[in-house]
Amino acid sequence: MAKGRVEILEEYCKSCSLCIEACPKNVLAISETINPKGYRPVTDVNSEDCIGCGMCAMRCPEAAIKVFKEK
Amino acid sequence: MGRVLMKGTEAIAEAAIQAGCKHFFGYPITPQNEIPEYMSKRLFEVGGVYLQAESEVAASNMILGGGSTGEPVMTSSSSPGVSLMAEAISYMAGQETPVVIVNVMRAGPGLGGILPAQGDYSQATGGMAHGDFKLIVLAPSTVQESVDMMQKAFNLAQKYRNPVVMICDGVIGQIMEAVEIPEGNPENLSNPVDWACGYMKERGKRTILHSLILDPEELESHNKHLEAKWKRIKEKETDCETYKTEDAEVVISAFGTVARIARSVVDKLRAEGFKVGLIRPLLVSPFPEKEFEGLISTCKHILDVEMNWGQMKKDVESAVKYRIPVSFFGHTGGICPTVSEIEREVRKIFTELG
Repeated sequence: MAKGRVEILEEYCKSCSLCIEACPKNVLAISETINPKGYRPVTDVNSEDCIGCGMCAMRCPEAAIKVFKEK
Repeated sequence: MGRVLMKGTEAIAEAAIQAGCKHFFGYPITPQNEIPEYMSKRLFEVGGVYLQAESEVAASNMILGGGSTGEPVMTSSSSPGVSLMAEAISYMAGQETPVVIVNVMRAGPGLGGILPAQGDYSQATGGMAHGDFKLIVLAPSTVQESVDMMQKAFNLAQKYRNPVVMICDGVIGQIMEAVEIPEGNPENLSNPVDWACGYMKERGKRTILHSLILDPEELESHNKHLEAKWKRIKEKETDCETYKTEDAEVVISAFGTVARIARSVVDKLRAEGFKVGLIRPLLVSPFPEKEFEGLISTCKHILDVEMNWGQMKKDVESAVKYRIPVSFFGHTGGICPTVSEIEREVRKIFTELG
């Protein structure tokens, strides 16, 4: 059971990859889909590794990531 | 306004308003959508006009009209949109209309992609359209610099009655950085009564601005006037930054975002004792030939790094009078060169130099 969960607000993402660098557990990656802005948004590929630390959300300049702690 | 965290495009828009921009005509295109979006909200507050045109062709003809009245006007677009604006840009140069055009470059050719590139260097420095004229082209490498350059752009446009283009790659448009947007400092404002459309009351006769001159002698003398103006600009307005080039054996030449990446390379290799430097034109047109010429005595090799296939290389080569070998490294399609890639290229050059 993952300790945390990320929710990506895909339409705000500009594919800058800062969250991918920030994540200590390599949870995030650029996805294959294209958002309404035309960028490839990030997605949580290793969601079971998420510890809910919130580093990705803190780094995101577009405030496109929500992080939840799982109980 | 203090120090604020802002997206590049929004900072450019606010800086333009501070610089005196009154009217904006444009058409949305990624990655500069935030400029018209921001303008649509703010220009109303400062008593200006914001109008979304039906196309880029219309938008550029609107700034041609707006600029002809002597009002500070601007438009912004990205690579394919700027190509559509080309015709009117030539008209503006022909009839000496002061306008500011922001080009947030994306990857080409064609519709290309929406990620950053610098493929419009040749287009912008070559004048962008038909006819014999040149544009003043600014190339910022940080959000703060693009903010400061906005004031410069409006001042230069007014001073020389010439279209001014700011080419920033998509990174500068989309990156968020802390910036300080200074209060406006408009200077060199030409008096619109002297030349602009309208002002019947003050002048007593009407003015028609046009670029159609059918008499060949008259047209040539007009072109001579434009050329003399360009020579004046070339003498007075070049701007170039050199970073640790005094004793540098290898100098990296770059503009825009790439120059920022190259600066990290210089710092990294300097710490290891390599004599590396960076030269960066802030105005890519007119090109800072004197500063490049100054490298001839010390520099043994120039590495030109860009996000295109070496469009600035030929300018660098002719500026150093072909006396320093110039090699090229770059990426296109929306990929930024990394510090380690440029570092590898520089190391390779040092190995070859021995």
